[in-house]
Parts: sequence; structure tokens; C-alpha cells
Amino acid sequence: MKARKSLWAGLTALILSASLLGGCGSSSNNEPAASNGNTADTGGSSAKPVTITLMMSGTKAPDGQDFVLDILPKLVKEKFPNVTLETSKYPDEQYITSVRTKLAAGQGPDIFLVFPRNASLAVNDMAKAGFTADLSDLTFLDNISTGAKEDMAYEGKQYAIPSGMDMLGVYYNQELFKQAGITEQPKDWPSFLEACQKLKDAGITPIVLGDKDPFFIQFGMYQIAANTVYPDDKEFDTKLQTGETSLTDPKWVKTVSMFKELYDKGYVIKNSLGLGSAQAAQNFIDGKAAMVFDGTWDYPTLTAKGASEFTRGFFALPANDAGKPTYIAAATSAGYAVNAKSENMDVAKEILNYWYDGQSDLFKEWVKSNTSISVYKDVPLNHELFKPVFDDYNNNGNSVYFPNQMWMTGVAEEMEAKFANIIGGQKTTPEEVTAAMDKKYKELAKSKK
Amino acid sequence: MTSVTKNMFASDPKREEVRRPSGRTLGKKALVQLLVIAVMVLNLIPLVIALSTSLRSPDNMSNPVNLFNEFSLSSYRSAFERMHFSQAFMNSLVLTGISVIVVVLIASMAAYPMARIKSRTSQFLYLFFLSGLVVPGQMVLIPIVQMLNSLHIPSTQYTPILMFITCSLPFSTFLYTGFIRSGVPEEVEEAAHIDGAGLFYRFWKVVFPLLIPVTVSVIITQGVWIWNDYFFNMIFITKASQSPLPLAMLGFMGDQQNPTQWNVLFAACILCALPLLIAFTFLQKYFVGGLTVGSVKG
Amino acid sequence: MNRTVMKKTMYFFAIPALVFYLIFWIFPILKLFQYSVTDYNGFSTDFNYIGLDNFKDLFASGTLGTSLWHTILYTVISVGLGNLIGLGLALMLNMNIRGKGFYRSISYIPTLFSAIVVGFIWSYVYMPDTGMITTLLSKIGFNTENINFLGNYSTALYSIIFVEIWKNIGTTMIIFLAGLQTVPKDLLEAGEIDGCGPWRLLRNIKLPLLATSVTINITLSLINGLKAFDFPFIMTSGGPGTSTNTLIFSIYKMAFTEQMFGKASALGILSFLFIMVITGIFVLNMNKREVSA
Repeated sequence: MKARKSLWAGLTALILSASLLGGCGSSSNNEPAASNGNTADTGGSSAKPVTITLMMSGTKAPDGQDFVLDILPKLVKEKFPNVTLETSKYPDEQYITSVRTKLAAGQGPDIFLVFPRNASLAVNDMAKAGFTADLSDLTFLDNISTGAKEDMAYEGKQYAIPSGMDMLGVYYNQELFKQAGITEQPKDWPSFLEACQKLKDAGITPIVLGDKDPFFIQFGMYQIAANTVYPDDKEFDTKLQTGETSLTDPKWVKTVSMFKELYDKGYVIKNSLGLGSAQAAQNFIDGKAAMVFDGTWDYPTLTAKGASEFTRGFFALPANDAGKPTYIAAATSAGYAVNAKSENMDVAKEILNYWYDGQSDLFKEWVKSNTSISVYKDVPLNHELFKPVFDDYNNNGNSVYFPNQMWMTGVAEEMEAKFANIIGGQKTTPEEVTAAMDKKYKELAKSKK
Repeated sequence: MTSVTKNMFASDPKREEVRRPSGRTLGKKALVQLLVIAVMVLNLIPLVIALSTSLRSPDNMSNPVNLFNEFSLSSYRSAFERMHFSQAFMNSLVLTGISVIVVVLIASMAAYPMARIKSRTSQFLYLFFLSGLVVPGQMVLIPIVQMLNSLHIPSTQYTPILMFITCSLPFSTFLYTGFIRSGVPEEVEEAAHIDGAGLFYRFWKVVFPLLIPVTVSVIITQGVWIWNDYFFNMIFITKASQSPLPLAMLGFMGDQQNPTQWNVLFAACILCALPLLIAFTFLQKYFVGGLTVGSVKG
Repeated sequence: MNRTVMKKTMYFFAIPALVFYLIFWIFPILKLFQYSVTDYNGFSTDFNYIGLDNFKDLFASGTLGTSLWHTILYTVISVGLGNLIGLGLALMLNMNIRGKGFYRSISYIPTLFSAIVVGFIWSYVYMPDTGMITTLLSKIGFNTENINFLGNYSTALYSIIFVEIWKNIGTTMIIFLAGLQTVPKDLLEAGEIDGCGPWRLLRNIKLPLLATSVTINITLSLINGLKAFDFPFIMTSGGPGTSTNTLIFSIYKMAFTEQMFGKASALGILSFLFIMVITGIFVLNMNKREVSA
């Protein structure tokens, strides 16, 4: 009996102190609240100090000035003396978890990076949930290519600013190609296989891939899919959404089989499942493998100085049949959005207007630091290496986005896991891979409704 | 006896490891010494590799196993600057310091009734706290954030402290309860009770001072995880200037579109662990002693 | 001691801790029960109640089975091997060999590094071709071409379990060592005089007296193993394939990558109950044994 009484006493006290704690929490942390209060009415005239937070995914530059961490806050301060920009950078996975949780709590950063279309933390989801603000009134939007803008729009409104576009391709070692007697850049799948065989016969590892990082599997898969699934059926993913088709489609089975072929024939480095992306890149720049599948964003890593000096080349993986054009896997890269619940939305938009005005120092610095190919008017291609493929992209328009941008997050991961089974010799068939993708797609589609 | 030992030694060297020496066979001791050294090497080698890698300049990408092929502090300089080390260090110190102090105070208090009162309520409380150990933080993250939100507790630099305290409670109360039960006899309180001292006085003036050994062990075990945690920090802290060390370090980690900068990352890792290593060197005696007292008497 | 000394008002001392614990731990956990019957995605404000569909789906799909199996393997091996090595090391150090204090400190150092750091370092150690182990093996003439610890389906899980053991061995050993030091010398000497061999001394005298240390060590490593997340997350992302998917890793992936927070909550509750039951059974058993010993 006594025990029960004291328990009651305890509970009462508990509730009391709980309310106390809540009160405590908000009063002891009044610093940001106060600054918010000050700045809510800033509008355009800007005298009162404002703090804007910006988050993005990425890695800190090892030396020199990091654009987002150092240059951006400095230049913003020069232009808007009352604005302090607080920036931070985390790796993808941590970034997504952290921002999504903050948003769910209604305390997200003012400006943050979102991904195109349907990926995780992507425009569609964010706009639908009301987390991102409509940016259609920004002044510079006309200077950005239409296609890129569309990938960052939802129901006709602009919700994020695309930073550029990325292409997937094959970086190759021209010296090793010569050494193996490959005179001509492969133009279709049979000639690509032939080139691999020549390299292999010459005792050179044809392709290095970093499959320990599961996302690496996408780099090959999407390039093949661009040539097998999409050329005849650009609306494939739309049909997928309506249920007219499924991922078990023979075209996807063919895609997986073609990628599998590269492993079966021993063209991909042994132990690729034990190599991370950084180690794969190291193998390539050390001249230990002739090719690596990767994106244009990895230019700095793949052109870094390694143990071997050689000339790089870049082409889109020719997964097409002979006589057909090669389709390029190219997609819009992530871009900044403004938090719909930001108390300083006008200031955030002002910063973006300045940032992307096409002439300011800030704009120039941004262009210099951008690892994606620009979609901004009159900004030249960043690296000569990509010119042939980029010209092809512009002139022929044969390109397909990365399929995972149209899927729910989780499908690509399922594909990676199941395809790893094939690489690891687990007797999984391509049909089983596509069946698993299909199952995951349907499971996620069901829970999305 | 000796012959039996020798036979056993010959037939099964593994048993030798667990044999307490009677000081008779020198060879045995040497063998054990050798074994211990082997284990210690295994213990340290990965860390030595990290150290050697961190002592290279950021662009030296040669094989990490070629130990100490360069001695350069440039990766450290880079990590130091890019992490804003002194600022991040202060942030870490504040976060860990406040959390640990509060944990020590409220966990020892909570353990007091659980150790002293022998009733179902007390037993229930004890198990109730202990069961919290079983739930991983990743699982409850979103409901926690929502709870904070509904209590109108803003996400600031200090919000993670609430979670550090909460998550430290199960193990800390466990250690304290065990220690008070078996290490602080009730008799010590009797004199104070006869003098008419209240519970409050008895706990803070009589019992608490006797808890120093287990307090040290609580500080160590909880301090280390709080210092190293990035998960709660990552969720609540948005501003770079408020980031503690592990969060500042996270920026060097690579992802899908950005390669990891190993040399700088390892330098950052070592800088992050350095304060703990220094504290460990100085506090070693208490460190190890504290950890053992609490757990042996549990 | 009489009841007036140990009054029930003592319970007030537990209130601050209880407040924190209930508000920031227990209530959020209870919230998971609510979410487990919804299709909540983890961030949007609206969701629907869908009954027990999440649970049904979980039992119908293979995820639960594989991740449960991996978690059990992870736990059994890390508990068993970790404690055996820890005990062995403690027994060796207890032989008063030279530099005992030094070794004891060294073995605790890995504990000071965070799991991320340890994960990174060991990824380097395990790397094929140029990693630490392959380099060392090839130096002494082994063919290391096929060595691929983290990339091989049959070795990946064991490789990360080893890292778990490596990181915790210091703590385990110190707790055992402390226990050993409470074993009275004369008891051991008496045993030796009675003609006990080292094995019997260990079994009949040391181990029973070590009961508390054993309980604590096993309980801690049991919980650690059942909650295994860090190393699969950092070192293998659950791969290759799903060969290092543990329960908690699956929950994380479901909740944060696939954005099925409702289903993740359901899996969370199942694994929570599983961990509770296993730990409970074990702790009760150990307690009985301790008393009888």
C-alpha cells in the first residue's frame, strides 16, 4: 500500500517537473528564438542581424577554401552585412537522415539541398509534404535550361534550383587501350566486349568497379538500361507507376544479363565486392585497370596523379546493338531549396538571387567549384575530357535519366543487393534480380499511397 | 604434480594460457608473455596504421601498410583548420561535461532507493531502468524528435544533452545500484540517522562521497560514448559553429559523389580521440580501477 | 536495519532520473506501437491506420528471417569468442607477468575510438590486394588473390564480428581481471595442495568466484550483439547482398532509406521483444546460478 502511495506522489511530482522542464527548455534556449523574432519582419530592408542556416551533402575540401563552408558565407556577408550564413556539410546518408528528421520536427535549415524527381529527399516528396517553398519568383530562373528546371519542379512550380547535370560514362586509360591493340573506341556492345577481351588477353584488367559501395553497381546498370530499356520506350517509368508494365519486363532482364556478362567473362576486376569506390579509383589512376564506370562528378578523383602517368578518355558505355546510337545516362544533379517554414524566407531568396545572378563574384566562385556540368546559360563545359560525349548529348539528345530518380528509394538498393549476389557467385539469376526489384517497387508503392 | 603439469603442457598448450603460475617454470612465463605481446600487437596494429596514414600529406595515396613512409603534419594542419578544432573541442567539452555531471547526480540519486529499499517497487524500478539498455537509439529517433517538438524544446546546441543524459541512465543506475548494495553498508548511515540527519543529508554527505570509485567508472563509460557520439548531435545541431568534434569530423567522410580523404580523415579521427587518449594517460589508474570496482561488485 | 531509516520517501530521489527517462525514452518507445499500425513515412504529417498489415508483410517477406539469423550469429559468436578471449587474456595478465599495467592500458585503447573510426580503420585492414592482412600474407609467400574479407558472402559477417570483439576486448578483460583479483590466494593454494591441476582450479575455484564478472560481461556483450548496427552500417552497408544485414540495420534502412517508418516500427517492436526475452531469460538464469554458487 505504502509503495503505491509514494508512486502516486512520484507521478504527481513527475508531471510537475515535466512542465517545469518544458518551460526551462524554451526559456534557456531563447537565443535563436529571439533572433528569429527580430528578423521575421526583415522583408527586403535589411538592418537587423539575421542568421541563415544552409545544409548540403558532400565532403569538406581537404585544403584551400571550401566553397560552401568558407567562400559562400564570406561573400554573402560582404553583400549583406547583416546576414550570417551558417553552413554545414555531411556525407549523403547522414545528410539525408539528419535533414529529414529536422524537417519532420519543423526545425530544418533555411536552405538545403534536395534531389531531383522521386529519389530520397527529392523535390516531389518535399514539395508534396509542404517542406519546400515555391521559388518560381526567383529572378534568374530563365537562365537555367528547361529540362533541368523541370526535374526540380512539382505541379508546375519551381521548388529547387538545379546545380547542373551529371553524366555516367566510362573513364579509360588510352595507353592501356593502345597496348592491347585497341585502335578504335568501341561503338556498340559487341565491339565493347571485344575490346575487353583484347585487354584481358594482353594481361590487363579491363574494368575496375568499387562494388563494396553498393551504389557503384548503378553506374554500370543505368548506362546499360539507357540503351536497352528506354530507347524504344521513354515512358517506361510512367507506365510503371500506372501499373501498365513492371520491372520484370524482359528489357530489364536483358539489362541485368548484359551487366552480368561483364563479370562472367572476367572483364571486371576480381574482388570488386571488396573494393570501395575510393579504392576502385585508386586502381584506375595507378594504371592497374583500363576502365572504370563512374560519373562526371568524380573527375577530380579519377584525374588525380597516381602511380602511373597516362591520358584519360571518356565515353558513354556503348550498350547499344550494332548500328544503333549510344544513349547517354545523364541526369539533373541535386540543387538548393528553401524551407517553407523558414522565418527568413525573403532573405534566403535574396541570397539565392545574388548567388545565381550570372555575374557576381559569388556566382563565379560557385561556377568554379561546381563539380556538375553547368545547365546555366553561357557557362562553358567544365572539363575538356567530357566534350565528345557532351557534344553528342547536345546534338543528338539521346539521353536517359538515372532510373532511380523515378523510383521510390529502396528499389535501387534492392537491385544492388540482389546483383551483388550475382557478383558474389550466389547463383542468383537476372530474372530473380528483376523480380526482387519489382516486389520492392510494389511494396513501396503500396505504402506510399 | 610437476610431472602432471608438464604432461598437460606437452599435450595441450592451450591450457597453459589459463594456468596460474606457481613460479616454478620460467619457460611458461615467457610463453605467456609472448602470447600477451602477440595479442597486444593485434590490438594496436590497426591504430598504428591510422596514425601512420594521418602523418602523410593529403595527396600521398601510396599503400597504407608502408608504415611511416612520410612524416608530415600537413594532414593534421588541414584537419585542424577545417574542423575548427578549438571551437569544436570546446563544444565537445561542454556537451560531454554537462551531460556527465548531470548523469552522475541524477543516476546516483535514483540508485539510492533502488539499492536501499527491498520491495517490489524498487525491484521493478531497477529492471525498468535496466530494460532501457535494450532499445537502440536509431529506432526511437523520430518519436524522440516529435516529443521534443511537442514540448517546445528547440533544437539548439544543447538539445543533444537531454538525449545523452537519458541514454546514459540505464547503465549508470545499474552500476550505482550494484555498488551501493554491496559496497556501501547501511551501517554507515546509522550514525547520521541517530544524529537526526535527514535523508538528503545522509545521501549527499555520507553515501555520495563513498561512491567515488563507481562514479569514476560512470564518467569513463558514459563520457567516452557521449564524446564520440555523432548521431544525436547530427539530428539536433544545424550550425557548423556549434558542432562538436565527431560532427566536424563527419565532413571528411566520403559519399557517393565525393571520395573519402583518408589521410585527412584519419588525422581528424586521431585529433578527435586525442583528448580522450590524453585524459586516459593521466587518469589511467582511476580509469581502469573505476571501471572494475563498479562492475565487479554489481 | 529498521524501516524508519530506509523510508519510502527515498523514492523521491529517483524522480529526476525518471522524468528524463519517461519523457525522452519510454514515451517515444510507446509511440512506436502507435506507428507500427500505420503507413507513416517518417516525415509527412498525414498517415493512415492500416491495422496489422505491417506485421503480416514482415512475416511474409524474407527480411525478418535473414536479419534475425544474422543477428543471432553475430551475438552468439561475439559473446562466446569475446568472453573466451577476454577471460584468457585476463588469466594471462593475472599471472603477474612483467608490464601488466601497460598491457592492461593498451588493451583499453581501442574502446576510446568511436565506432565510425574503428570501422574506417578496419575497412583498410580488410581491403583486398593492398590491405594490411593481404600485404602481410603475401610478404610471407601466400597467394592472396582470392582473399576478400568484406566482399565475400561467407566471410563478411565473421569479419565484422571480429571487429566487434576487437573493440570490446579491453572492457571485457578488465572486468574479468578485477574479478580474478578478488579470488583469495589461500583458496588457490589450498586447491593446489589438494592436487588440483590448472584446469580444475579454473573450473572449480576461479569461475564460480567470477560469477558476477561473467554475468556482467555476458549481459553487456549480449545486448551489444543483439543491437549490432554500427559495423554493418559503416563497413559493409549490410552487404554484399544482404549477408551482413542485422535486425537493427534492417530497421534503419526501412525507416530512413525506404521511408516506411510504420513498417520499421513494427519490426522495431518485434526485435525489441526478441531482445528483451533473450536477455531476460539469460539474466534470470545467471542470477540463479550466481546465488547457488
